[in-house]
Amino acid sequence: MENTSRWSRIKTYWNQPKHVGYLFILPSLIALLIFAFIPVVIGLGMSFFDVNIFFNGTKFVGLQNFVHFFSDTRAVNSIWHTVYFTVLETPVQILVGVLCAAALARNTRFNRFCRSTFYIPVVCSLTAIGLVFNMLLDPNIGLFPHLLKEIGMTSPDFFGDAHWAMPTIAFLTVWKSFGVTMIIMLTAVQAISPSLYESAEMDGASRMQQFFHVTIPQCVPALGFCVLTNLTGSMQVFDQIFVTTGGGPNFKTESTVQYIYNRGFAAPYELGYASTVATVLFVIIAILAVGSNLYMTHKENQMR
Amino acid sequence: MKRTNKHSVLSNILLIIVLISVVFPFLWVLVSSFKNEADIINYPPKMFAGHYTLANYVDIWKTIPMTRYIINTMIYAVGVCVISITLDSFSGYALARMRFRGRTFFYYVVMVTMFIPFAITMIPLFMELSEFGMINTYPGLIIPHATTAFGIFMMRSFFVGLPEDLAEAARLDGLNEFQIYFRIMLPLAKPQLITLAIFSLMGSWNDLLYPMLMTTDQSMRTLAAGLALIGGQHITYYGPVMAGTIISMLPLFIIYMFAQKYFIQGSAMSGMKE
Repeated sequence: MENTSRWSRIKTYWNQPKHVGYLFILPSLIALLIFAFIPVVIGLGMSFFDVNIFFNGTKFVGLQNFVHFFSDTRAVNSIWHTVYFTVLETPVQILVGVLCAAALARNTRFNRFCRSTFYIPVVCSLTAIGLVFNMLLDPNIGLFPHLLKEIGMTSPDFFGDAHWAMPTIAFLTVWKSFGVTMIIMLTAVQAISPSLYESAEMDGASRMQQFFHVTIPQCVPALGFCVLTNLTGSMQVFDQIFVTTGGGPNFKTESTVQYIYNRGFAAPYELGYASTVATVLFVIIAILAVGSNLYMTHKENQMR
Repeated sequence: MKRTNKHSVLSNILLIIVLISVVFPFLWVLVSSFKNEADIINYPPKMFAGHYTLANYVDIWKTIPMTRYIINTMIYAVGVCVISITLDSFSGYALARMRFRGRTFFYYVVMVTMFIPFAITMIPLFMELSEFGMINTYPGLIIPHATTAFGIFMMRSFFVGLPEDLAEAARLDGLNEFQIYFRIMLPLAKPQLITLAIFSLMGSWNDLLYPMLMTTDQSMRTLAAGLALIGGQHITYYGPVMAGTIISMLPLFIIYMFAQKYFIQGSAMSGMKE
């Protein structure tokens, strides 16, 4: 008898939204704690330790890893390569995405077909796309070098030439992912209330003025989101470089994430120092993210 | 009138150029994967060859354990998908519809994780998994991705929009909170669940670095990692690699053909901020 009443008390207690809510979010919170928050703390902490993958001879080394970082040309260069990639990739992807969204804004059959086709590369993995471009751009048998020669140009070795490799990687990344930017911008354009255009028209605004004073300000938040995710994504570029140049020629395209991988998960297996490099990258990404966010909010307020 | 015409001609030219540059590489690779090696390395390259063969598809199966890779990738992708849509919809629902103390705080806690770059967590994750003895295991691949901030965010945005009296009516009918969730709320969220499921599948299927780090054993590799490791070795035999690439792209491509709007919706959702 006592048992049943206790059981029903428990049931009533947990049947109230204000209590059962915790049960609903608990699994996710535990997972995020173990696989997101704790790793960040460990990652930042490990950058002050000398740790290898076999966990022998672990010791606290203070700032020594960071001092080493700045004299490690391969590490510093990997940051520059990553920044170079981001500078090449992000503006072009945003531009292509926005242009396509603008060109596809109307709902014609051809436009709908284009939208679904442009999104296909998004569905494919960067690994697959990298392998496809490996073949298309092969200096000996590739189609694209052949076409260049046909029209009388000398074709560079796209992935083998240090000057061409990074722009080529940036190009294939844009090719793969501009569809995402396009869809996000299209959604933003189509979400603009027609009444805004109507009132602009009543105020005598031309099409051009409507574009600059209605369309653009209304799309700034979506644009800001695209820039932010693109920047932070590009700063962690890995897959497409790994399958195309592998960081070569001569480490000229080695990105920071790839350097972390090579340093921590291949000889010399220095997880501690690799974490230091990761921490530096983390700080750079955080500055970029906060910076671009502040800039965008500022712009939004300015336009209002 | 003249100006709009000029504008549309220009934009159509742009679109056709983009269209060709998007479609052509796929066609080229698809056709090439059925050519024999002699035709592939033939110079000048030609789109079509004299005859076609399945040899490349046979070869890739002989070169790497494709069946193993496909099974691994499926277990990884489907496992992550099922667990994460379950947990994400639980949390999304609670954060949207249940009033409990600290709800806003927990929402922010979840959202913050969206901005944690993988670069900083990859080494600690590897250490955690090796501590738990989960390197080279399916749970090791799946459990760290059991929940995502994006999924919770997406489900929450959906549940927030539902009318309040829906749950009230059910409570009066004597349903408990779990019954309300499973019998009433979850069926309503079907389109969102499909969108999230597809996004999750796509993410895991295409993922390279994470499964590559968490598996060191050849027999535990996923398709992307397996292909990247042979494709990156600069082998001269393009045929089998292209066949493998086509195989790896095919499942998602087929899903995309039938469930396009869910893919598009997922991308569109990611850009919406409150």
